[in-house]
Amino acid sequence: MIYQILKESWISISAYKLRTFLTMLGILIGVAAVVMMVAAGQTVQNEITKTFDSMGTNLIIIGPGETVSGGVRGGRGRPSVSFDDVESLKNLKDVKTASYLVNFAVQAVYGSNNYGVSVAGTTPEYLEIGNWEIDKGSMFSEKDLKTGRPYVVIGQTIVEELFGLQDPIGKVIRLKSRPFTVIGTLKEKGDGLMGDDQDNIVMMPATTFRQRIHSGFRPQYTNVAFVKTVSEDKMEAVANRIEYQLRARHHLKDGVANDFSVRLMTDMVEKVRSVGFALSVLLASIASISLLVGSIGIMNMMLVSVTERTREIGTRKALGASNKWIMLQFLTESVMISFMGSFVGMVVGVLGSQVAGVVFEKQVPISLWSVVISVTVAVVVGVVSGLMPAIKAMKLDPIDALRFQ
Amino acid sequence: MAKQQKETVIEVKDLCKTYFMAGGMSQSVLKNVSFKIEKGEFVAIMGHSGSGKSTLMNILGCLDRPTKGAYYLTGKLVSQKTDNELAFIRGHEIGFVFQNFNLLMKRTIADNVSLPLIYQGVGEKERYKRAVEMLKIVGLKGYEDRLPTQISGGMQQRVAIARALVNNPAIIFADEPTGNLDTKTSDEIMALFSKLNQAGITIVLVTHEDDVADYAHRMIKIHDGRKEYDGLRSAYLNKEGQ
Repeated sequence: MIYQILKESWISISAYKLRTFLTMLGILIGVAAVVMMVAAGQTVQNEITKTFDSMGTNLIIIGPGETVSGGVRGGRGRPSVSFDDVESLKNLKDVKTASYLVNFAVQAVYGSNNYGVSVAGTTPEYLEIGNWEIDKGSMFSEKDLKTGRPYVVIGQTIVEELFGLQDPIGKVIRLKSRPFTVIGTLKEKGDGLMGDDQDNIVMMPATTFRQRIHSGFRPQYTNVAFVKTVSEDKMEAVANRIEYQLRARHHLKDGVANDFSVRLMTDMVEKVRSVGFALSVLLASIASISLLVGSIGIMNMMLVSVTERTREIGTRKALGASNKWIMLQFLTESVMISFMGSFVGMVVGVLGSQVAGVVFEKQVPISLWSVVISVTVAVVVGVVSGLMPAIKAMKLDPIDALRFQ
Repeated sequence: MAKQQKETVIEVKDLCKTYFMAGGMSQSVLKNVSFKIEKGEFVAIMGHSGSGKSTLMNILGCLDRPTKGAYYLTGKLVSQKTDNELAFIRGHEIGFVFQNFNLLMKRTIADNVSLPLIYQGVGEKERYKRAVEMLKIVGLKGYEDRLPTQISGGMQQRVAIARALVNNPAIIFADEPTGNLDTKTSDEIMALFSKLNQAGITIVLVTHEDDVADYAHRMIKIHDGRKEYDGLRSAYLNKEGQ
């Protein structure tokens, strides 16, 4: 019986090819839009994840505390974590390494070339913490940090902008009119989370930075420090130890709020991911409106079909078709149209998102979501939009149907 | 030699049909109609427009139920069956021939002929084989794979007759089968009905045309919802002096 109903339904819908195609088009566009929007949302999420991965997820970020004045929370306070504080954190249990960063934007000059760069005064450990890799030469050493030597390690953007095809190692660049020797270059890292160029960086010992680039309001303090744990599952414990250690070092009494903040990279990743997910859901919801319109199109077409084929329904009933058979046939026709539309829509959506990926030079994932959405939508839309017309067909009185002109 | 007992195909007893309308109004269309039709009979149900003959035909064809009275088809009481039970009976016991042929225009002639068999769960090959056999009987051998739009009206009615025969029914109901045909084609179609009747098939036809009714042996005349005459067609013609 099922095979016969499928066959009869197929013959019926293929007898009106243009109408079937136009009806399908609504679902096709709807599903394609949902698939492409979900793919777009997922691409954004993946890009975010990739950026965080490039920084490492087992990272704890320490910054200044929030200012509170008269019970009102203000912005971030002045730098409260000293270089020595960070050094002391290296000895905590489950801490792999720690580093800090002070930065300033200046103009870099080499020969007749100059370029606006971000200078980062840091420690050698920052290389590991930021998942940076040396391309040529080497990172400055602990000794260079202590002695404040004018050594710099530069990112690929600066290599290209200042040196072009020349080898920068051993060359001297000028920052704030002061000479610095390039002792290493960094491997390319790409854009950051906000679209910033991560390769536009000049790293130098923090001591050198304070002496020659920017002494700052509190020279021995940093706005941001990083602690890398031995593993992701130790982050909570390490964060507690950091808090305990810093409170002790800052002589904070019980009841006094922290003058620093401790944030886990995993929490930040989770927050950003949830925003990305919400974005996907929002985009898919907007695209679903076209799916709704498509399903109304199917219902409309099926209602017209029932009216047009009233005499056929009467004839089929007179020849022995049960009400159930008639209802199933029309319902199957509706599901078939919806299924075909969804399938083609899925293919168009996947191809469209891949083409967009090529155009925008992003890797667009082919999501299992797409398949699940397509199949679910096909069945649900088909049944929902076909049910009313199918019931109408089923309820037709055979005598009235046979008399229908 | 003992007279052979005839098999009753249809028996109706005090059949009434009343339509109830809005505002408590009602219209009685059939009033206490009773008769029997034996196997192998060729019966014409006649009457003017609005006499109730089509309503009677609908009840006999299991498309409708009587308000009162009993209807037995091949010995089984069918007057109070459910919709699905009536559909089953129509598919197995009854063949219909309509005035407008009621063929599915986008389907082949073989598909049209074999349509009733789909609802009986008959397989595709067997359906096609049976359709070919029926088309041979009605003189349309070789037309299996054509579309109804490619043949004449007379041929379309032959296809409809083949469709009515395909489920080997106990009775064939023909509702104004020549209403849309010219005289010559009408004669051919009625000749085909006569041939089928001679082969033992029970036929009930509803018509208001005397020429068509002349092919039947027996005539039931309905007037204002009542049975006005039930007997041989020839006797009726003699009585009326025609």
